[in-house]
Amino acid sequence: MTENICSCIVHTRPGEGANVARRIIALPGVEVHAGADQDKLVVTIEDNAGAPAADTLGAMNQLPGVVNSVLIYHYGGDDLDDELGNTALGQTPAAA
Amino acid sequence: MTSTRNITRRAFIKSQALMAAATAAGVSLPASVLAQNQAQQPEPDIRWDKAPCRFCGTGCSVLVGVKDGKVVASQGDPDAPVNRGLNCIKGYFLPKILYGQDRLTQPLLRKKDGKYHKDGNFEAVSWDEAFDVMAEQWKKAINRSMQENAGKSVDEMTSRVAMFGSGQWTVWEGYAGSKFMKAGLRSNNLDPNARHCMASAVVGFMRAFGIDEPMGCYDDLEHADVFVLWGANMAEMHPILWSRLTDTRLSKPGCEVHVLSTFEHRCYELADNPIVFKPQTDLAILNYIANYIIQTKSYNQEFIDKHVQFETATTDIGYGLRPENPLEQKAANAGVGKKLPSSFDAFAKQVEPYTLEYVSELSGVPQENLLRLAKAYADPNKKVSSFWTMGFNQHTRGSWVNGSCYNVHLLMGKISEPGNSPFSLTGQPSACGTAREVGTFAHRLPADLVVAKPEHRAFAEKVWKLPEGTIPGKVGYHAVLMHRMMKDGKLNCYWQMCNNNMQAAANLNEESYPGWRNPEVFVTVSDPYPTVSAQAADLVLPTAMWVEKEGAYGNAERRTQFWRQQTDAPGQSKSDLWQIMEFAKRFKVEEVWPQSLIDQMPEYAGKSLYEVLYTNGQVDKFPYAGKVVDSRGNEYKNHESEDFGFYVQKGLFEEYRMFNSGPDILKKGHEMAEFQAYHEARGLRWPVIDGKETLWRFREGYDPHVAAYNPDGDKGDVYFYGNKNGRANIIFAPYEPPAESPDDEFDLWLCTGRVLEHWHSGSMTRRVPELYRAVPDAVVYMSKDDAKKRRLRDGQMAEISTRRGVIKARVETRGRNRPPNGLVFVPWFDANRLVNKLTLDATCPLSKETDYKKCACKVERV
Repeated sequence: MTENICSCIVHTRPGEGANVARRIIALPGVEVHAGADQDKLVVTIEDNAGAPAADTLGAMNQLPGVVNSVLIYHYGGDDLDDELGNTALGQTPAAA
Repeated sequence: MTSTRNITRRAFIKSQALMAAATAAGVSLPASVLAQNQAQQPEPDIRWDKAPCRFCGTGCSVLVGVKDGKVVASQGDPDAPVNRGLNCIKGYFLPKILYGQDRLTQPLLRKKDGKYHKDGNFEAVSWDEAFDVMAEQWKKAINRSMQENAGKSVDEMTSRVAMFGSGQWTVWEGYAGSKFMKAGLRSNNLDPNARHCMASAVVGFMRAFGIDEPMGCYDDLEHADVFVLWGANMAEMHPILWSRLTDTRLSKPGCEVHVLSTFEHRCYELADNPIVFKPQTDLAILNYIANYIIQTKSYNQEFIDKHVQFETATTDIGYGLRPENPLEQKAANAGVGKKLPSSFDAFAKQVEPYTLEYVSELSGVPQENLLRLAKAYADPNKKVSSFWTMGFNQHTRGSWVNGSCYNVHLLMGKISEPGNSPFSLTGQPSACGTAREVGTFAHRLPADLVVAKPEHRAFAEKVWKLPEGTIPGKVGYHAVLMHRMMKDGKLNCYWQMCNNNMQAAANLNEESYPGWRNPEVFVTVSDPYPTVSAQAADLVLPTAMWVEKEGAYGNAERRTQFWRQQTDAPGQSKSDLWQIMEFAKRFKVEEVWPQSLIDQMPEYAGKSLYEVLYTNGQVDKFPYAGKVVDSRGNEYKNHESEDFGFYVQKGLFEEYRMFNSGPDILKKGHEMAEFQAYHEARGLRWPVIDGKETLWRFREGYDPHVAAYNPDGDKGDVYFYGNKNGRANIIFAPYEPPAESPDDEFDLWLCTGRVLEHWHSGSMTRRVPELYRAVPDAVVYMSKDDAKKRRLRDGQMAEISTRRGVIKARVETRGRNRPPNGLVFVPWFDANRLVNKLTLDATCPLSKETDYKKCACKVERV
């Protein structure tokens, strides 16, 4: 089954970064990695039982103190638990 | 270097996602997180490449990750100047639009007893059979046209065949389509769905500046002190631009945001001056601002003296309805766009009646809000950027209201410099690049040339190596007229590509559907999905979409962006480009041109239109080596070039450049770089001169054309070179009422539009399960009072009706959109409740763009 992982930036009202971060991590599959002091949270969201990443993202937008959230990265695949062999190294996600 | 052994893909992906977000945010990660993530190598088996997003006119660049031939990942492109690594929710779901469960994979034709029949059921057929049947129908119609045109001059020619293209077409699809219709089939009946969204903006530009598209660019979002949104819900429709605007508002001291609309939406959360006005009164509000600027003597006298000319619009111009409609009969000057000379004093007198008191009364906006708005424009020390989209454009006076906004900016000289920017945003990814720049409208040719001017046609015929007099001079049928002509049996073949007009065109019940199902009409729809349009067609052609082909789009800030084919289309799907060129093989010149034309160039005798148009020594000039290779050595397919045996996209683009960048071009100012430059860059904003893009047009120091046109001009001064006298036009236009207003029976305003999650008619986004689940059905947004008056509760099903039709939708009084009493809003993405059954096909009589924002409706309990 396809599973989703995404990351986003959540802009909060001035001075609300830490409070919003606390509200956000209560949501399923969500981690806040940084940015509370800058009111710009760096967040990852994974699918969780009964809570697909997209729904969690939608719920996040409704939280008090959230001004805006923007997506940065998305992956959807059925191979997330595969181990990656030591194959040839790929490219960085930057295009020419 | 760290080994990738024993690390799960999940850890990899999460790390990638995290690093990308931190970089885009400019947020530093804690040392521990950084160490853990930096040590990891990137995902080994994903190939990444850039592509502009498939959806709105913002033109974000995304990185597309392909694994085993399938698009599996996307990321906001950190190197893209437009979105700087950011993405909106639609961008996030981009890969999924390719993989809807009901993708069409083979041509489908309505058949009965083994033969085409208008009332038959869809059966799968081969491409050969599909094009055989289609060509037979088209030749029959063209033959009738040729008989009707016998003895007529080129300026009187009409045609019974039409193509309805798209602001989502790639640049070369639009170019190939225009060439096929206007030159090959000698029909100007080519119009894009951009008619429904951008036509008023175009007319506004042409009337004021003599050249299309904004003078500013998105960099204005960081330079402005004041933002004014006129009928643009940027928070939902252009989220990335909204994000940039939000950043400026929250970080720049004194920055303020004015939001104007006929109902409250998400942008109002950030509004310092929230304004809800009565529909159509934006015309009066703009005249009030002009009046305020004049009364307070705030205008920029020097700028006006040097750079502006005053004109006045012909008034009482009707509503673009059928000529027999009483409203058209009553109008003194139906459809007249003529402007008359005027002066500053005359203009001042014309706007004088638009006082604060009068306009506040008319618009329903409190005086203090209007005054605050006027002061912002009139303050010489504040840089003002105005943004608008469909609120201005889908307006029975759309061409006027665009112009009235320019009037305000021109009075103040707030134009063509960082932060001072009247800016028309677009709704489609290539409304500018394809529909407007290539000129796929019924009256246009590439690079702002028009069919009505003999010297423009002659230039196009020379570039295209065609006999003199090939291109007809009479303007073809525009989008709305096409449906009327189909209903009347005067247009018999219609090919719709890359849009969903049966769901989009206003007045489905009275015009579109009767037209499409008229037994005298044969309709072809090319689409990746079985849309409402596909279901109403006679022939459906399966289409390769977005990164299943090599493409180019042009966004709202004049930025042209390219992408490569990343993956194969499913089944027998082929791009619109392939379909147009392949279909051209079906026509011999003798079947579509009179002998007199062929006699001028006997070398074309016996040739197919494919040969005449696409293997003319120009388009087929660049060889195709069996693959496209990028600068990193990655290889890509190109299905059109594979089939036709030359680098199709490059050939078409380079021929197109003969219109905008050649040495002998008729209209300067649209110059583009050569093909390969766009594959290397994150887009370039035209005019591109000596490889350098232009950020602000018409100002010396930014735009190299200014010095060329006006060598004696001062440093940093402006020169509006689109007009011969170098001046921009301030054109007075009055307030005139809408075509239809609420009355006793239909007592509410109906406004239609979009929501964040779904793009346009939802033909792609509704097939993404997550987006469908987030917003499954269109609802009717209304005020609590209006709901209560009709004994309706939230979530209850209601019937919405107009003089033209009826639909049902659930009531929403607490949602993201908060209409005032007297107005309801219904989004139009939902194929199960077609709001275009309700809307009126009244247009701006000058731009022919439909007003989807106001008609009269009633809402009742079911």
